[in-house]
Amino acid sequence: MDNKILSLNGIDVYYGEVQALFDISLDVYEGEIVSIIGSNGAGKTTTMRSIMGLRHPKKGTIVFNGEEIQKLPTHKVVDRGIVYVPEGRLVFPDLSVEVNLEMGAYSKSYSKAEMQQMMEEQYDLFPRLKERKNQLAGSLSGGEQQMLAIARGLMSDPKLIMFDEPSLGLAPVIVDDVFKVIVRINKEKNIPILLVEQNAYMALSISNRTYVLENGVITTSGKSSDLIESDEIRKAYLGG
Amino acid sequence: MSIFEGVNWLQLLVTAIAMGCIYSLIATEYTLIYNATGLVNFAHESFIVLGAYIFAGTFERALQFPHWLAIALTLVSMAAFGVLVASTILNPLRNLQFVTYAMFGTMMLSRIIIEICRLSWGSLPFTVKGFLRESINIGSTVLSESYIYIIVISIIVISLLQAFFKLTKAGKAMICVSQNKDAAALMGINVSASINLTVAISSIICGIIGILCAPLYNVSSNMVTSAATKGFCAGVIGGFGSYPGAIIGGILIGLIEQFGIIFIPSVWKDALSFGLMIIFLLIRPGGIIKRKKA
Ligand SMILES: Nc1ncnc2c1ncn2[C@@H]1O[C@H](COP(=O)(O)OP(=O)(O)OP(=O)(O)O)[C@@H](O)[C@H]1O
Ligand SMILES: [Mg+2]
Repeated sequence: MDNKILSLNGIDVYYGEVQALFDISLDVYEGEIVSIIGSNGAGKTTTMRSIMGLRHPKKGTIVFNGEEIQKLPTHKVVDRGIVYVPEGRLVFPDLSVEVNLEMGAYSKSYSKAEMQQMMEEQYDLFPRLKERKNQLAGSLSGGEQQMLAIARGLMSDPKLIMFDEPSLGLAPVIVDDVFKVIVRINKEKNIPILLVEQNAYMALSISNRTYVLENGVITTSGKSSDLIESDEIRKAYLGG
Repeated sequence: MSIFEGVNWLQLLVTAIAMGCIYSLIATEYTLIYNATGLVNFAHESFIVLGAYIFAGTFERALQFPHWLAIALTLVSMAAFGVLVASTILNPLRNLQFVTYAMFGTMMLSRIIIEICRLSWGSLPFTVKGFLRESINIGSTVLSESYIYIIVISIIVISLLQAFFKLTKAGKAMICVSQNKDAAALMGINVSASINLTVAISSIICGIIGILCAPLYNVSSNMVTSAATKGFCAGVIGGFGSYPGAIIGGILIGLIEQFGIIFIPSVWKDALSFGLMIIFLLIRPGGIIKRKKA
């Protein structure tokens, strides 16, 4: 843990007059999986949207690879190499699986061969998508759409990838698959990951470090293996 | 004696399809902006009028350029106008909290453009001499040259647009923007720039419509009022937001109003398409081609 990829330094974020995040600071280092856990409305999605420039903080800085990015528009943040796999997947329903993947590489100028190779890489990771490559994304099941959203995110060969509740609404077997893939992405492609989850047990089990967010404030942070043992965390997030 | 006696079917059919193409182009032009911004551009009629004036008033009448140059410069001017309107008005408007205010914004824009036309080119209607005013005689059938051009050019415009959506990166990005703006931005698409491009394309199509309508009507600020409204109906009948729907709806209105006048007096033909739109709104509000909602 030496090379810092991303840091949030005391950011405040508002929706109109209402403050959603209070003085949030967090770091992600090379090679890490970092998770943010917290209940509904805690501000997890807001944190990710702020990193992506979909919402700009009123105070504080966001530094990515040494550059302040808190004022950049979203497409520039993507150009810098951050990919966000959003809550609710947001695949393009009227486009085919293949074109969805192609759009994931929008920020890159791949040659035809490179594009094909990137797609094959994703199909290796998610063979189900290959079988359905000409199907409209809107007609996929929830689990398949989640796979597509992840695969689409990987198409641009990101330097950091963020997942927002990848397990939401999925059957337990599929949840296991999705988390296995996230760990694989981290290990095999060596991409640092920031993960938001309500499934706190899963998040704590696969991550190196975890931040606990409550009502827009980070209340606890530390090594996931320590937090999973803590009585407070067990009570609040792991059902005893 | 049958009511069909003396009806020249070929002439009616060509007229119907040509007018249908105009309505289809109009429906396409505002569908582009609707899909990109979620706004119904109530200023679209004034865009067409502006195109007609730039072409007929400036490049033809005042500067007497050759037709091809006048057409090219009109389309370039319309593209620039589109980018200006998108970046100064439509992009800010789409971020307003209430769509109703944004709609009012486009209505005001329409008044401004019409006033600018009146002040720049005068309020007297005029014609473009020597532009698509010949006719072709086939036996007893007299086909106006402009109708043939309208049909051919509409087919070209609509095919190019489809190819643009299917084959180019910018075209695909426009489809993504119309489906989900946040998701499009997360792909690295510059959403505002994509909308600027969309409005530029829509404005170019308005320019084409204005040029094609110049030989059909006198150039004046209300030259396409009736066509613009029927183009609007075409979108509703075909299915709001759908490009195939825009084409089907346009052609259908063209056919119904032309062949309708066999049965009813021709002064009623406008009422016919508006009546048809209301019937569609009542019995099939999604139009012929219903859009799948995500
Ligand atoms: N677009 C918005 N406008 C106004 N308030 C918002 C908006 N989006 C979120 N909020 C508010 O900001 C706070 C944080 O919301 P956020 O979506 O970040 O929570 P979350 O931790 O992601 O919750 P969940 O687990 O339900 O996804 C909530 O109080 C929410 O009501
Ligand atoms: Mg959330």
